[in-house]
Amino acid sequence: MEQAKQISNKTSEGYGEPVIEVSGLYKSFGNNHVLTDYNLTVKRGESVAVLGKSGCGKSVLIKCIIGLLPYDAGSVKVFNKEISSLTQHELDELRARIGFVFQSSALYDSMTVRENLEFALRRHGKHKSKDEVLSLVKETLNDVGLANAIDLMPSELSGGMRKRIGLARSLILHPEIMLYDEPTTGLDPITSGEIINLMLNVQKKYNTSAIIISHDMHCARLTANRLSVIVNGVNYKQGTFEEVKNFNDPQTHPFFE
Amino acid sequence: MMNVIQPKYKPQPPKVTIFDRLPKSMVDFLSEAGAISRFAGKFFKQAFRAPFESKELFRQSFEIGYRSLSLVAITSFIIGLVLTLQSRPTLVEFGAEAWLPSMVGISIIREIGPVVIALICAGKIGSGIGAELGSMKVTEQIDAMEVSGTNPFKYIVVTRILSTTLTIPILIIIGDAVALYGSYLAINIRGSVSLTFFFKQVFDSLAFSDIIPAFVKSFFFGFAIGLIGCYKGYNSNKGTEGVGRSANSSVVIASLLVFLIDLVAVQITEFFGFL
Repeated sequence: MEQAKQISNKTSEGYGEPVIEVSGLYKSFGNNHVLTDYNLTVKRGESVAVLGKSGCGKSVLIKCIIGLLPYDAGSVKVFNKEISSLTQHELDELRARIGFVFQSSALYDSMTVRENLEFALRRHGKHKSKDEVLSLVKETLNDVGLANAIDLMPSELSGGMRKRIGLARSLILHPEIMLYDEPTTGLDPITSGEIINLMLNVQKKYNTSAIIISHDMHCARLTANRLSVIVNGVNYKQGTFEEVKNFNDPQTHPFFE
Repeated sequence: MMNVIQPKYKPQPPKVTIFDRLPKSMVDFLSEAGAISRFAGKFFKQAFRAPFESKELFRQSFEIGYRSLSLVAITSFIIGLVLTLQSRPTLVEFGAEAWLPSMVGISIIREIGPVVIALICAGKIGSGIGAELGSMKVTEQIDAMEVSGTNPFKYIVVTRILSTTLTIPILIIIGDAVALYGSYLAINIRGSVSLTFFFKQVFDSLAFSDIIPAFVKSFFFGFAIGLIGCYKGYNSNKGTEGVGRSANSSVVIASLLVFLIDLVAVQITEFFGFL
């Protein structure tokens, strides 16, 4: 956890160039105006935890960043490229540099663990020989401590194992940005701790930038060096864990109780 | 860093359109029909564009076709058997027992075989596709596929619709053959006729105008079953409850469409003088 302390104490100034720039983001679903004027910048190597009430637009934010949801107004730039102006091919190329860990793990039910990991690799056009693919799959599974689960089906995995395989599937492409959608939700404290350790190892090994959507303050404190709180569709408050915690405001205070 | 931002957005009142004056059920029906048409349009747009997911197409054809074969064969066999046993007493009464193979052959090839097998497929395949895609949607597997650089519509929807369009006509041909064999066995319960003579009588009474329209409409049945299953599953929401609804409505709408297509096919056949 020393590694976690180093991350959470590091200030935003110590990082590289911006890799994600969100400005004036507006997204609505019918009459439900989820994000109204959201702004956020994430620099290379930096991790930001996004907090907010259920349904406040946290998952919508990262889905807009990766181009899964079109946004109504504003700007989302990833590696200095405006997401809404990219062609499908350019978007696919960009997505190869981003890892997305889904809340439900989103493993393909009809494929084995090996096929799940191979799928992303082959689909992003990273042409490798069969042996190279297999060794990369084994290496990535080893990183998440599940080398012996290679031929299991997703239905044979526990919740924690599914989360790890979901993480491995994102890592196999060696992404520069990781987007985590509630990585520890629904897990027991021990498994949750293991996932947090994995996230810290990923950050250390690949120097990834990350946006972590979470309700788990323990996870946010250990894995992020900055917090952003969404209230009424805007970046209501941002700062280090201690700064946001000590900010005496009825909108942010309940997260730390 | 310690800035507090207040929202700038002020919601605008929704605009009133002509559709707000129509009954809600009619608006729902029209919007559903429009959405299915757009979904079909998207299928035709993407089906003929590279990359072609041939591996997934073959896998789906195997899953859809081969795994439905036993159900189709058993039900077809029973239909042929029962239809013959039920028709026999009436024909005997009029001294027309010799017409039994011809009558059963025409009934099965023209109408009963395609429609009944399509309905069985709507139940088995349509619900399966609806539930599978619905489950993929609510567990974010479709999003995961898109993030992995794959067009999920092409990989999941196009392959399944093409598979049903191509395999259901094959299932219908096999089902027709099995139903005729069932009929042959039923005739031999009370009487005695050779297999060769039975099939000679069946084919003597059949013309191309009986076979071709039935064969052509079976492609439309397959397309409708795949389209509705995929549409309902792909647009599934509201969690696991939505998955159940997708499966259920896939069967209901696909079955209804089978009858509608059959009705249209009969009119077209009649128009071109095949009846």
